[in-house]
Amino acid sequence: MIEKEIVIKNRAGLHTRPAAALVKVAAQFKSDFYIIKDDLEINGKSIIGVMTLAAEQGSSLKLRFDGEDEQAMAEAILGLFERGFDEA
Amino acid sequence: MKLESIKEVRKHNITVGFLHETLKNRIKLEVLTSVGFENLIRDKNIHRPGLALAGYVALFTYDRLQVCGNTEMRYLKSMPLEERIRAFSTLFKFDIPAIIVTNDNIIDPELVQIAADHNVPVMRTPLETTKAVYFLSDFLDDQFSPQVSIHGSFVDVYGIGVLFIGRSGIGKSEITLDLIERGHRLVSDDVVTITRKGEGILIGAGTDLVKHFMEIRGLGIIDVPSIFGVRAIRFQKRVEVVVELMEWDSKGDFTRTGLDQQTLKILDVDIPHIKLPIFPGKNITVIAEVIALDYLLRHYGYDSAKEFSHKLENVIAQKSKKNAKRAIDYFEHDFE
Repeated sequence: MIEKEIVIKNRAGLHTRPAAALVKVAAQFKSDFYIIKDDLEINGKSIIGVMTLAAEQGSSLKLRFDGEDEQAMAEAILGLFERGFDEA
Repeated sequence: MKLESIKEVRKHNITVGFLHETLKNRIKLEVLTSVGFENLIRDKNIHRPGLALAGYVALFTYDRLQVCGNTEMRYLKSMPLEERIRAFSTLFKFDIPAIIVTNDNIIDPELVQIAADHNVPVMRTPLETTKAVYFLSDFLDDQFSPQVSIHGSFVDVYGIGVLFIGRSGIGKSEITLDLIERGHRLVSDDVVTITRKGEGILIGAGTDLVKHFMEIRGLGIIDVPSIFGVRAIRFQKRVEVVVELMEWDSKGDFTRTGLDQQTLKILDVDIPHIKLPIFPGKNITVIAEVIALDYLLRHYGYDSAKEFSHKLENVIAQKSKKNAKRAIDYFEHDFE
């Protein structure tokens, strides 16, 4: 199991488009992927779940990867957050 | 689906302002001093401060919401104003969150002023003390009860709250949509918040943002009440059965008789847990309806698996050596 803390970089926060990009990447992997914000823990492969977080710029999320391809999954997802979902 | 990994949360405090906002219409709360709405209530219990007013303050649970009913108010009224002020002031040696006066009892402006000076809000309700206490306790109990959020779909099927869980992409949303189409009601898809109410009762609901939106793979996000109308949704439902969707696996531990009911613990409450293998061509929607109806039957005292088992035991006990018989001995001239 891998756990990582990240901060949302892109200005508009984790809105619909980045949420869609995130679940698309997550769906390519077998491992479980959870996102925890404050008291809410959601499945990172569910777009409704990700949008429920309503994570704004600067908010911090805890990511948890668990499964056989967790390493590759963590790298792909963290890269996506790092690049701010390729948004301004 | 690892339910044990799910984090239980509970609120540790609520503000008096939030309590007022939520209950003002329900129990007709009238604000006598609007100070201290930011004060925090940290306990789900309420307290009647009668003994504290009389001067006995050992064990005074001051951090609870203080409810003054007829007893307290008549006791205060029995004293001259000066003594009344002294008795009432005793309460404010402690850090109390708020005072609620019930039964539309009249409280002297002098006493309200003392509360205001100590930044303690005073509110009044026309309800009798027992009724007001009932509403307040129910509200506080709800606010301070433990909650979890679960990745799953929650549907009211024939009045039974069926929670579908299973890995992402296994088809929970599609089954939910199918059930809605057949006239059942969606509570929440994808993110279900479950709260324990009282002893052994779990209530599930959606989140304020998502409510009745759902995602269908390949289609995107749809709004259920806009498409299917108001009959297709409800806001909350008791969780009664958990159905876990799993890929068919010949070694899987799936029940064949239904005699031994498995359960799953959510917030320390045991909920019947059905592991349902899925494969192409299997109509899960109909099975979900049967699960709900079978749950109803059991609730009314009829257990299909047990009934069949009893019948079998009786036949075996008769030691009849005959092979399995036709259900009808003689097909009388009935060629339909």
